[in-house]
Amino acid sequence: MRIAVLLSAGRHPVSGTPVLPRLEAQAVRLAAGLGEAVGLHAGPDAAAVADALGQGLGRIEHLHLAEGADPVPALAARLGTLAPDLVLAGRRGQGGPESGMVPYALAEALNLPLIPDVVAGSAGEGTLRLDQSLGRGALRRLVVRGPVVVTVHPDAPAPLAYAYGRARRGTVEAVTPAPAAASVPEIAVEERPYRRRPKLVKGAPAGGSAAERLKAATGESGAVASGRVLVEPDPEDAAREILAYLRQIGVLAPPAAPGDR
Amino acid sequence: MSRPRRDPRAERASRQVASAAGEAARPRYDRTARRGAGRPRRDPRAEHERRRLAGGSRPRYDLGQVAPPEGVPSTEARPRPAAETASKILVLEAPAFLVAAVPDAAGGRLSAHDRQVLGAARALAGREGGVAVLTLGPCEGCGGAGADRLIQIEGQAEVYDPAGRAARIAAALAALAPRHVLFPESLDGGDLARRVAVRMGAPLFGNAEVVAAGGLIRPARGRRVEQRAAPGLLATVAPDAVADYAGPPREARPLAVEADGMAGRDTRPAPILAATRVPADPATVPLALAEFVTAAGNGLHDLDTFRQLVAALRATPGASRVLCDAGLMPRHAQVGASGTVLAATCYFALGISGAPQHLQGVAGCEHVVAVNTDLHAAMIERAGLAIVQDAQAVMPALLRLLAQEAGGRGGVS
Repeated sequence: MRIAVLLSAGRHPVSGTPVLPRLEAQAVRLAAGLGEAVGLHAGPDAAAVADALGQGLGRIEHLHLAEGADPVPALAARLGTLAPDLVLAGRRGQGGPESGMVPYALAEALNLPLIPDVVAGSAGEGTLRLDQSLGRGALRRLVVRGPVVVTVHPDAPAPLAYAYGRARRGTVEAVTPAPAAASVPEIAVEERPYRRRPKLVKGAPAGGSAAERLKAATGESGAVASGRVLVEPDPEDAAREILAYLRQIGVLAPPAAPGDR
Repeated sequence: MSRPRRDPRAERASRQVASAAGEAARPRYDRTARRGAGRPRRDPRAEHERRRLAGGSRPRYDLGQVAPPEGVPSTEARPRPAAETASKILVLEAPAFLVAAVPDAAGGRLSAHDRQVLGAARALAGREGGVAVLTLGPCEGCGGAGADRLIQIEGQAEVYDPAGRAARIAAALAALAPRHVLFPESLDGGDLARRVAVRMGAPLFGNAEVVAAGGLIRPARGRRVEQRAAPGLLATVAPDAVADYAGPPREARPLAVEADGMAGRDTRPAPILAATRVPADPATVPLALAEFVTAAGNGLHDLDTFRQLVAALRATPGASRVLCDAGLMPRHAQVGASGTVLAATCYFALGISGAPQHLQGVAGCEHVVAVNTDLHAAMIERAGLAIVQDAQAVMPALLRLLAQEAGGRGGVS
């Protein structure tokens, strides 16, 4: 099975040094378990993605583009030539606008289906079995007919350890991209340094005092504060109350009706 | 140029109150009467009381520089939008434009993130615009969350067909022609938004952290810069960034949209051959991801019964620091500041009094059920359902009740 892994030139969240994003390292690991993989990077510099060689990729193709150019046409043209059975990508490339549109635009350009948020995969006969994360540990098991574009979820297995020898043996090849026009019109944006904004506190009153906001932040107000207290009930009554409450909020399945099965 | 000489004795005598007849009591004087000259005496307490506003639970005072006229206490109540006008439904007959919101609405219910998206749509719509909610299948509680119109697109929500879903949404949006469309930046919503954006050929402003009519703001390049743009057609809203709609409920009038459903129908063979849902195994799911956590504290000594109860309730086991330190529960089960901070829907605390560090771990839980012997424990105060009883006695009762329900079913079949 031929696999292409899309790599982006990410930045370390703390130090800001060029680094391979973790999700893409996880994608490299998924690819290593499925077959022969090649990395694809479109951008001005391939220094950051060279880390992927040490994480398990043998070869990376670097499509040289100007800073800020749309990578989708170049990638689509190259993927059309390579014709891989599986295209793996992170949920959103890092280092650029981070809109997360590249896998979707590529899937549209190549006329392939896209499966988002995959945590595991295995190959069958002409088909792929993919486990898709639904959040909170739940999965959806899909059987798809390839080729497909797949994005990886953070719950996928941790990336392989970086190996220096493998990084030395791997190669980064420069490939001249086919000239193409931008596919989707860009949004005119105005940039400024990032400013952290206060996170919303659930249930905090709009014009409340500092004490009320503190109570909301520690979860001592709102619907919770008006809770019911049963003092020294019979344990059987208490059990009945607890089960009724758990069923009312929907975390416990209702009792199956007699004769259900 | 000399003022007349005062005679204090005569002044005092003039203010003397005539006492009861012939009584040799001590003399009494009326000091409230205004003297002819000089400014009147101030009464600060009465002035402060006159500034008090009527209504409201807390006393509120108008501390403006202009003092209210004397003797007229303020009677008109300050407008209280939340409580008093709650019953009135706001109707928008002919909105100037529409802002569409496409919530996830898993299980036909709006999630907290969906409500925030509706709040953001409401902020973009302003006074003249209307908010239209687009859902596949039924969705309840849209009016209270700020929706003026409700558009239901028919289609099976159970079948996993993301491309078909995006095609139907895009067709409905093309027919509705809203000014803006907002999606939640969640697993499902973010996926749907990007599919719709690609299908409509419109740029998407992803992960907006600020949503206002003046502009949207998103982080970029690893949160080193933020990008600001005027609201475009498509945008996704980051979680916990925008406040819910807080005004009076709106009508959520059902609206039919003539969408060309066959426009985006795919002619290729369906790429997805099979899709099965595998629910999370509560016994092995990491505590931080668990939906329902049942935790044991120092009020328990029979942990075998606790484990049976956890299995019977299909919950994820947790524990307080004391039990983990004692080696009775594994360290990865510890809930609290030095253990795991939960994001569960429900937390069931057995024999936990609720140290501040433990409550920090529970702060994100929506519902808390507590069983503890101490009426004044912090956990009892925090809980939505609190049982002041020995957890050691309640656990077997719960197990018996659950077995009875399961047994009743088994006996009949």
